[in-house]
Amino acid sequence: MQLLDIRNLTLELSTPDGMIRAVDRVNLTLKEGEVRGLVGESGSGKSLIAKAIMGVLHERWKISADRFNWRGRDLLRLPYHEQRRIISRDIAMIYQEPSRSMDPTSPIGEQLAESIPDDLLEGAWWQRGSQRKKRVIALLHKVGIRDHATVLSSYPYQLSEGVCQKIMIAMAIAKNPKLLIADEPTTAMESTTQAQLFRLLASFNQLKGTSILLISHELETVARNTDTLSVLYCGQLVEAGDTATLLKHPLHPYTHALIKSVPEFQPELGFKQQLYALHGSIPTLQHLPIGCRLGPRCPNARKECVKTPIYERQQNHYFSCHFPLSGKTNE
Amino acid sequence: MIFHYLMRRMFLLSFVFVALTIFAFSLGYLFPGDVLSNFTGLRNISPADEIVLRQQLGLDQGYWQQYIYFNQRILDGNWALSFSSQQNVLDEILNVMPATLELASYALLLSLLIGVPFGIIAAVRKDKWLDKLISGFALVGYSIPTFWWALLLIMVFSLTLGWLPTSGRLSVLYEIPRLSGFMLPDILGSDAPYRNEALFDAIRHLLLPSLVLATYPTTVMIRFTRESMLDVLEQNYIKTARAKGLTRLQVLYKHGLRNALLPVTRQVGLQFSTLITLAMITEVIFSWPGIGRWLIDSIYQRNFPAIQGGVLVVSSLVIAVNMFTEILHTLLNPLARK
Repeated sequence: MQLLDIRNLTLELSTPDGMIRAVDRVNLTLKEGEVRGLVGESGSGKSLIAKAIMGVLHERWKISADRFNWRGRDLLRLPYHEQRRIISRDIAMIYQEPSRSMDPTSPIGEQLAESIPDDLLEGAWWQRGSQRKKRVIALLHKVGIRDHATVLSSYPYQLSEGVCQKIMIAMAIAKNPKLLIADEPTTAMESTTQAQLFRLLASFNQLKGTSILLISHELETVARNTDTLSVLYCGQLVEAGDTATLLKHPLHPYTHALIKSVPEFQPELGFKQQLYALHGSIPTLQHLPIGCRLGPRCPNARKECVKTPIYERQQNHYFSCHFPLSGKTNE
Repeated sequence: MIFHYLMRRMFLLSFVFVALTIFAFSLGYLFPGDVLSNFTGLRNISPADEIVLRQQLGLDQGYWQQYIYFNQRILDGNWALSFSSQQNVLDEILNVMPATLELASYALLLSLLIGVPFGIIAAVRKDKWLDKLISGFALVGYSIPTFWWALLLIMVFSLTLGWLPTSGRLSVLYEIPRLSGFMLPDILGSDAPYRNEALFDAIRHLLLPSLVLATYPTTVMIRFTRESMLDVLEQNYIKTARAKGLTRLQVLYKHGLRNALLPVTRQVGLQFSTLITLAMITEVIFSWPGIGRWLIDSIYQRNFPAIQGGVLVVSSLVIAVNMFTEILHTLLNPLARK
């Protein structure tokens, strides 16, 4: 069954200069047990989509979608408290800025303890306290913090960003969520800890069947750790499909450029050779081009590109481009 | 670490007090009239006494020496005499101070009890009609001139309706021995047969002045708590807490309140100086025998030693309260201990 099925998600912000459509008709699906990557440059709306799924977007944002199904129920059409109940039970998120996502005036132990829902604890109410404590310590060990006594009594400002991130992860997995959204989980970490974290996420995915939505701007890490991939550009979904196929045969010029800009994927790249890059830079949100937003920068752009391309499909491979690169890559 | 912080604060405090005493000392010279009279409070000093007094005060020596003698007299409790009553200024201040402190503390308590909850409600119901109502009232209360508000209340509740007395702390019918100078504890501690009636009467006297005095700080508290709460509710950790599955009430109680109320504790200290200033106006209007009315009377009478002493005591009090709330804020806020 589809765990998450979002169709034409649009996020708009009304500003003095008019409505800004930061996320434009994005589709996103996640099966149970799937690890999906969501890649895009900063400002492409990755985090916004994640926050929209969590339902913690600022109220100034206008959310609309043709379908926003969580296990067959449309979240946007449910009453507010019902929506909150489902989301807080099933979905957890690891935020980008761990130290700012924790209450600065409350010790870590308290914050971690309150993220364990009551129904995960057994026994009578008087046994809950000690159980909760045991579970908190176990969680910390699981995310690789050995010195639990010091950490539990510390305040967030006393810990490094990396440790804070680990605690955020502990909080997220505390309730055994069905979907874990990891919004750039490794930005604050050293590379050894990064590897450790991805192993942890992978084991969580395999042992408990948790689906993971991994949001990142680093294509390499996402490619290594995901089954499927969605690529965003300026709030538009440009391509989605199996990670391996997508990397091998990109259909969209943006994905193509993205892959070519990573040296790791270019074994034949010569010494001191220039990396491939698209011309120009990302447009600001106030000056988004009409139609395909890549239009002005796209090497294959033609007159037709002023119309937004429809979402097309080749087996499990979705793309939205008038002139896909299929001919070129199939050679 | 906390010890270091306290030491630093105390060090700062001592400098402030030095500056304050220098100012109070220089008032003796800055006031019109004879310097010797200003410092001693004596008038018509005979030439023979004058020589002795000058020697005692060190007026024949340098300013520095005089300042040291001045501080010694302050510490010994040997303050100047009031021009009007020829009594030690310190004794007079100690006599009127409790009335002001009592009034100010009830007003402050009232402003916290009303201001903080209403501020929180307004923040939680942001832009709903309840918030608009509370914010509207807060704006009106903030803008209303205290003296006019006091007169208005007297007109309605004392003169027209006749429910509450217009002035004083207690009806002359009741004789309560002075223990601490604070009216309500004194009444409760006395064993007079009319204790309950006296208590009721004292509360009736207290009602209007403390209401008037509380108006401004209450509105400040409402506005400040609302802002602070809104600010906190925008923070990422509130979103995280919501995403964890806590209910709105739990989030508010566990993460919202503490973070939002920390700046409020500091605000209490800052409000205290305004409160004392407003207390002077309130005391004059309600004939409340406190330090404010006493100080204003002294100013009218050109009672220079009294002004000097009153300024010293009132500013010391304000600074001490400020410092106290600052320390309290630090003890409560783990971030400030960084």
